[in-house]
Amino acid sequence: MSSVAVIRDEAGLVERLRGGDEAAFETLVESYYGMMLSVAQSYVKTRAVAEEVLQDAWLAVLQGLDRFEGRSSLKTWIISIVINIAKTRGAREARTVPFSSMAPEGEEPAVEPERFRGAGDGFPGHWWAYPANWSERPEEVILGRETLGVVTEAIEQLPDAQRVVITMRDIAGCSAEEVCETLELTEGNQRVLLHRARSRVRAALERHLDAA
Amino acid sequence: MPHSPLHITCQEVVELVSDYLEQALPADEAAVFEQHLNFCDGCALYVDQVRKTIDAVGELRAEDVPEETKARLLTAFRDWRRG
Repeated sequence: MSSVAVIRDEAGLVERLRGGDEAAFETLVESYYGMMLSVAQSYVKTRAVAEEVLQDAWLAVLQGLDRFEGRSSLKTWIISIVINIAKTRGAREARTVPFSSMAPEGEEPAVEPERFRGAGDGFPGHWWAYPANWSERPEEVILGRETLGVVTEAIEQLPDAQRVVITMRDIAGCSAEEVCETLELTEGNQRVLLHRARSRVRAALERHLDAA
Repeated sequence: MPHSPLHITCQEVVELVSDYLEQALPADEAAVFEQHLNFCDGCALYVDQVRKTIDAVGELRAEDVPEETKARLLTAFRDWRRG
């Protein structure tokens, strides 16, 4: 897994970029391109469109660099640019964005209630049968191509807000704070969306792995 | 069953797991959560599944920037610098 690069001295980098330092620009591209692509992909239907979004986003970044005041971090500023452009494209692509509301709706149990003992049982709320031990599975299975295909499919089918949050957190490697800031979510709502998204993906993995 | 702060059910554990992993549980609730895991193999396995799920999702991380894309962006950067 390629790790998400962290730019430590953003202010210094911005200065170098403004001065036309190509090495600084390369650092920026290498550090954030993958993260930007993942975020864009969570808003639009295809990889090709996501790449187009990034082209526009990079131009917008360059055009805005002189006006960037550092009130947000460079990273969240760039993510916001990607999201704004991706939303416009996503709307044209008839993906149901911009989302009317990012706030989680209704109740959604992480695990089907039937898997727990009922109120009349001696151990109410406890498992009928334990979940399987995935640590006994070879890593090639858990992280293999077929399993990752199931994960991709599960993320694709998530409700919009959940898909965007899990993508930003677990694929793009953004912090909770960065997600809250760019999506204008409260900490609590961010966590609920992440929880539901991870729970649904886990359930999809379980269906796949337990059937195998 | 009346809710006791010293006892949580497995059904409650699966709803708290994200808050726990995000270190968003108050210290006393985190302690109760961990205590439950110490005694409940089912929930320990469940939390392990959630961690493995997060790892698997992380594997979808985009690959390195294609050279062609990087070259194109550098051209855009040079054009921008020339204003």
